[in-house]
Amino acid sequence: MTFRQKLQRNKILKALASLKLTVLCLSLLFILTLWGTVGQVQNGLYLAQERFFHSFFFLAMGFLPFPGAQLVMWVLFVNLTAVALVRYAYTWNRIGILIIHGGLMLFLVSGYVTLHGAVESHLALGEGNAANYSTAFHSWDVAVWKDQETPATGKFVTDVTSVDIMAFKHDRPVVFEDQGITLRLLEYYRNCGAYTGGQTDITYRNASGIQRLEPRGLEKEPGENTPGAIFQAETTTGESFKLLLYGSDTAPTPIETKDGRYNLSLRLKHYPLPFTLKLVDFIMERHPGTDTARAYKSRVAIETNGAWREKVISMNNPLRYKNFTFYQSSYSIDKFNNETSILAVVHNAGQVLPYLATFITFAGLVIHFCMMASRSRKKHA
Amino acid sequence: MPSRSRQILLAFVTLLTAAVLCPVNAAAQAVCPLDSLKPIKVSSLEAFKRIPVLDQGRIKPIDTLARNFLLQLSGRSRYQKETATEWFARFLFAPRTTFDDKVFLINNPELLEAINVEPEKKRRYSYHQLEPGYDKILELARVIDKIEDKDRSVVERELLRLFSNLRYYIDFSGAFAYGFPHPDFTLDSLEVRNLLDLSLERNQFSFYDLFEKTDQLAAASAVLRTKEQDQWNETELTLARLISALIFWTNHYANCPLGIIPTQEDLDEHWLSPMDIINLNANVPAYREEVELIRDMTVHYWNGEQVQFDISARAFMNSVNNRLTVKEHAAVDKIPLELAYNSLGLFLWAKLFYGLGLILVLISLLRSSRVITRLILVATFMGFIPHLIALVMRITILSRPPVSNLYETFIFVGLIGVALGLLLEYLNKDQLGTTVANLCGLVFLMIAGKFGSDGDTMQMLVAVLNSNFWLSTHVIAITTGYAGCCVAGVVGHIYILQLLTRQDKSRLEATMNNMLGILGFGLIMTFLGTALGGIWADQSWGRFWGWDPKENGALLIVLWCAIIFHARIGKMIHPLGVAVGCALGLIVVMWAWFGVNLLSVGLHSYGFTSGIANSLGAYVLAELVFLTVSVLILGKRNIKV
Repeated sequence: MTFRQKLQRNKILKALASLKLTVLCLSLLFILTLWGTVGQVQNGLYLAQERFFHSFFFLAMGFLPFPGAQLVMWVLFVNLTAVALVRYAYTWNRIGILIIHGGLMLFLVSGYVTLHGAVESHLALGEGNAANYSTAFHSWDVAVWKDQETPATGKFVTDVTSVDIMAFKHDRPVVFEDQGITLRLLEYYRNCGAYTGGQTDITYRNASGIQRLEPRGLEKEPGENTPGAIFQAETTTGESFKLLLYGSDTAPTPIETKDGRYNLSLRLKHYPLPFTLKLVDFIMERHPGTDTARAYKSRVAIETNGAWREKVISMNNPLRYKNFTFYQSSYSIDKFNNETSILAVVHNAGQVLPYLATFITFAGLVIHFCMMASRSRKKHA
Repeated sequence: MPSRSRQILLAFVTLLTAAVLCPVNAAAQAVCPLDSLKPIKVSSLEAFKRIPVLDQGRIKPIDTLARNFLLQLSGRSRYQKETATEWFARFLFAPRTTFDDKVFLINNPELLEAINVEPEKKRRYSYHQLEPGYDKILELARVIDKIEDKDRSVVERELLRLFSNLRYYIDFSGAFAYGFPHPDFTLDSLEVRNLLDLSLERNQFSFYDLFEKTDQLAAASAVLRTKEQDQWNETELTLARLISALIFWTNHYANCPLGIIPTQEDLDEHWLSPMDIINLNANVPAYREEVELIRDMTVHYWNGEQVQFDISARAFMNSVNNRLTVKEHAAVDKIPLELAYNSLGLFLWAKLFYGLGLILVLISLLRSSRVITRLILVATFMGFIPHLIALVMRITILSRPPVSNLYETFIFVGLIGVALGLLLEYLNKDQLGTTVANLCGLVFLMIAGKFGSDGDTMQMLVAVLNSNFWLSTHVIAITTGYAGCCVAGVVGHIYILQLLTRQDKSRLEATMNNMLGILGFGLIMTFLGTALGGIWADQSWGRFWGWDPKENGALLIVLWCAIIFHARIGKMIHPLGVAVGCALGLIVVMWAWFGVNLLSVGLHSYGFTSGIANSLGAYVLAELVFLTVSVLILGKRNIKV
């Protein structure tokens, strides 16, 4: 008995390779896609994605657990793997089917890689400005930096220490060793309003005078959420107090340690770029006689080994450099006619995977279709 | 100094400036015979209709503008016996004669009550009927404007549509007014006419007649500055009246949407109406000449002087052509093609022949013969050829792929459907293919006609759609996929009907094979389209897949086809089940195609009227009833899903 025959006797594998499971998964995915589309009307794209597509389970109508698309796709992946192990006949006349399903597995893999490996951020640059970091759309971190080193706009100050807000846990304090600050998370709201309290007994330390956070429901657009957090802070001076940080604080909150004075703020995550990018010119063209934009583009320059290289970024024509891709995303023009170009920045190691998967699956489909068609012609002839 | 005279002084200074800029043209002018209220009209508008205009971002012949204009107002492309261009020419050259033309389509009776207008059988109303209610319409429109579009009721939308149509009509109606004699410029006093060097034979003048005499007017009215207003004599009062009329006209007729005279500013293409040109800068000789040529056309139109009218129109086009940029030239060069497209009415021919084909199919059901089968094939081809030619012409005129608004997708899907039907016919020669082809062609062109009835179907594209290779490949692939799935759905219906009418086994088997083949084709093209859409999204927004409604719609089709194929291989459904699946696939395609518009979220919104949403709902209901009844009947005969 070959190894494959042994596998084929395995009841679990056999059950996992069943076509009924495939049809069930495809049907579930069909329902989820439809439901997730309709769900966007009420809750917006981001929340619908989280609920229906990125989840393993979610509650339908508030009480009924329903499998999310991530779970369904995992089961499909297992199903495909089991089919490959025990059911496929590896013969030439099945070659199309084999290629199709290989391509589909690659799609699932690339989905996983993108979900966990891709970082999306953005970069808003006025004409003539340069930057070497990009800013997250809606991930936040706690940043700590020494007082005199105020970050200049558009420059990433390497001496800033930042920790993702999601890394703070209620039971595990985060220690900023070099600065001598320990923070223990007491409360965290993904979206909240902030209020200044009474003038007399100040309980929270906050540079903007905020004394109360009031949680709110999440916005349709994740970028419109403003988070707030309250920490128990301890410093090397032995001081212990409650620290409040809010996403739109007007100023960072200073803390004294033995080392000196440090600023703390809750801010959109910054991602350093391994090079500097400058916006040379922003160009917008309209269809003649209308307000409809025909095209908008940014002429940017990147610094490579001390020399500046220029490149025009437009719709469908991004700049790719060192695993980073810059897209023309949006723009703004203020009342003084200053143009700001907003570029989306994506760092995705698995970017090429869906291209590959598309090519493989399509090739498989065409091969299979042609083989079936010619077989059907022969049968009729 | 009294404020009125200060105002006139101001006007006077303006006129003085204008006078310096304008050389005098003392040549005698022909005039419009205003004593008869009806223009004699010219009989041929061949030269007029090819004049280029810039409208909604695209350079097009005036013929197209006329069609779209009338279509937008009345939902029709003719007015009684006049073609759109004839009506539009009358509207531009003699606007008063159209005030009683019933061209404003109002569908909603409630709206009529609101503005106090008696309902008409044909649901179309004249400007004179609506004018008394204009203030009310304006007042309501201002309120409705503040409501978000999705919260507006049917009546409110209809009112906004009527309001914008009325504005559009009013704004256009004054485009050539500068050339007509007008009571504002009636001059009985011989002395004033003498002073201004105007013709002594007549007393009625146009805005432009007076505008040409600005420096005489300036000289004659210099005396006004030295006197108090109450000391002005008759002549001086007339002069002041003329000045204020001139100023009133320049403001009143400004910003007319008829872009007919090209200008260049900061390298931006701006096409302006003659009145705006007069406002902007009348001392550029070419501008001035073109303004005058249009005035001449107006006069010749009124006098019915065909030859002179054509000469003026050609001279105007000549002058415009000499000043165009390379890009504009390329657009103007396509005007003859567009005129041919407009006049041939190719889609009508296609519809006629598809309809004829369908009638022949019905006849063949009663009495089948080789001749009829041949005739059906001929009819299908006769429909297919104009359909294809029209599509190619559109591609050439617009220099872009043929599928970028809902109207165009129907045309394109219909064409692919017919092509697939013809392919089936070629392979099987059993009349299944031609039946499908004629049905698809007729139905899709009819639906397209519904969508095309609210104005220009050749719009320009917004930035995100205005691109290259990926747009063309993605959209073409996905719509071809829609067509494949639609054809499979139609064949699915035919299969069910064949089952119901107890056709023999070999025939059923052939239909089933065709259905599977077409569904497979649909799956491949939809998959390709979906994936190319992902690549396009990755190129422009940096993500391959984002669960956007349009992406989801395409995915639903792919999933639905995959479910049918896998369930069939796993023997979970029988041939009837496959047919029912294909038939239901039509609903899935509809969802993907315009579900987004129903939801009105996401990036793609083409504009969707509630009437179409209702008929879509009715279709879905009818389909479900048909399938349920068929399955129940066949179930009694032991044919399982």
